Amino acid sequence: MTQAIVVKGLRKKFGQREVLHGLDFAVEPGTVFGVIGPNGAGKTTTMRCLLDIIRPSGGSISVLGEDPRQGGTALRRRIGYLPGELHLENRTTGRRMLEHFAAISGPVDERHVNDLADRLQLDLDRQTRKLSKGNKQKLGLLQAFMHKPELLVLDEPTSGLDPLVQQVFHAMVREAVDGGATVFLSSHVLSEVQQAADAVAILRDGDIVTVSTVEALRTAAVRQLRFNSTGTKAHDVGALLARVPGVAKVAVRELPADGHASGTVEATATLSGHIQPLVQELARLHLTELVLEEPDLEEAVLTLYTGGEAPPSTGNTQRATHQPEGAHRA
Amino acid sequence: MAWALGLTGAIMLYLPLYPSIGGSAQMQQMIDALPQGMTKALNYDQIATGPGYTQATLFGLIGFLLMSMASIGWGAAAVGGDEESGLLELTLAHSVTRVQVVLERALAILVRIALLTTLVFVLVLVLNGPAKLEIDVGHLFGAVLLFAALALLSGTAALCAGALTGRKVYGVAAGAAVAVLGYVFNAVGRQSPDVEWLLNLSPYHWAYGNSPVTNGADWGAVTGLLCISAALIALGTLALQRRDVGV
Repeated sequence: MTQAIVVKGLRKKFGQREVLHGLDFAVEPGTVFGVIGPNGAGKTTTMRCLLDIIRPSGGSISVLGEDPRQGGTALRRRIGYLPGELHLENRTTGRRMLEHFAAISGPVDERHVNDLADRLQLDLDRQTRKLSKGNKQKLGLLQAFMHKPELLVLDEPTSGLDPLVQQVFHAMVREAVDGGATVFLSSHVLSEVQQAADAVAILRDGDIVTVSTVEALRTAAVRQLRFNSTGTKAHDVGALLARVPGVAKVAVRELPADGHASGTVEATATLSGHIQPLVQELARLHLTELVLEEPDLEEAVLTLYTGGEAPPSTGNTQRATHQPEGAHRA
Repeated sequence: MAWALGLTGAIMLYLPLYPSIGGSAQMQQMIDALPQGMTKALNYDQIATGPGYTQATLFGLIGFLLMSMASIGWGAAAVGGDEESGLLELTLAHSVTRVQVVLERALAILVRIALLTTLVFVLVLVLNGPAKLEIDVGHLFGAVLLFAALALLSGTAALCAGALTGRKVYGVAAGAAVAVLGYVFNAVGRQSPDVEWLLNLSPYHWAYGNSPVTNGADWGAVTGLLCISAALIALGTLALQRRDVGV
């Protein structure tokens, strides 16, 4: 099967201002692909290009094997889209709005619509102007999902949703993917994407900083390590830690005897990269306590946003290039 | 709906008064006493006959005003307003073409104008006898057609400008320019032979120059107005087809 989305060298200029500087990425069919980046990074622009709402200034796009500009109505029928800034017709009800879109992009199974509305706890017969932001967002999700499209393009899908409904949304995404659909979603918060996505692209100032799997990102991310051990001198513990690749910011100290077994050493450090080498080294020690924290992906991504240790971008020369999977810039 | 009420109200208010205003000798004296420039600008020089009265008050003034406002509002909202409010993005993401969207919305405006002008036609016809207007039905039909075509022109100008720019305010400006300048050019152009050329630029004059309620429609004007509207719709379609939406 061909890739669901292939974007090559995508550029977009608005007047003199270029907002996408040549994006390259591909989305495998039947996967969830997340794009994260701060506001203004180009997420929405990229998505609008996929839907032929705006036209690229350069590069090529293939969506479900077709160019969005050529694919026309037949292609858009196969896509479900949730705009980042959702605006709904005011003088109608949710049901009438969905019927309108179903008539355009159908066929739609009405039971499926009612089922989704039930799960999202959305009253379709209320006037849309009376709906809260979260309920409008549910309606937006419904119109994207209702015709069971092959590709879902969702711009900030969970914004405005409470945690319970977010869980429903994640379930809907999983079901769509289990049914063979591909999902392309964006967020400015990693934790949202992390739960749903198989692969993640990080977008910054119209460039892709890295494309990687959530797993790889997790590996690249920095974890906090803390343990207590007995029977080994503080100096030796420090030396042992220093041998492990990826370990940094090592701090070791002997704990005072009161309340601890004598000769207890407390060590803290950070770990990036794989865990296995660390565990092997730690096995030599007699541990009384061990904490290896869940990596803070948010932190990892923020490092990438700001260009890692590189000084703030001053133009093309400083721009981050495409990184191999899991590459770490810290 | 509100527009239908407004038009009905205007018709019910103006036309039954004809016997006591337009038809009375007293009123005629008053109008004769007014400066000629003013009566010409307001088309009140023809107010002494039933058809002339209807032409001047309803089709030429209050009806023209209401219909233009309605049509410009619809035209500006159709694409420009819809895009500005962010609604168009979602619509276009569905399985429609932009051509289809513009044409269907233009058609919706046409239908609404047709409904309103049909209402006007029927109401004038109903009042024709009781208000002693003595309007020829054929001439009335032609006048209503021109009335509709004139409203459609400012509406399609608004739609076209909205589709070109994606902004409602430009649509309103373009539609209002067509309606207001048309009216002003007519009013000024009729003042003296020196500025008569202004009449050629006035869609209002193309439509009403020969007092269609009295004399029947100028079919060339009907065709011309409709053709320009069609061209404006085509231009709007082409413009939307070629540009980015919602940026």
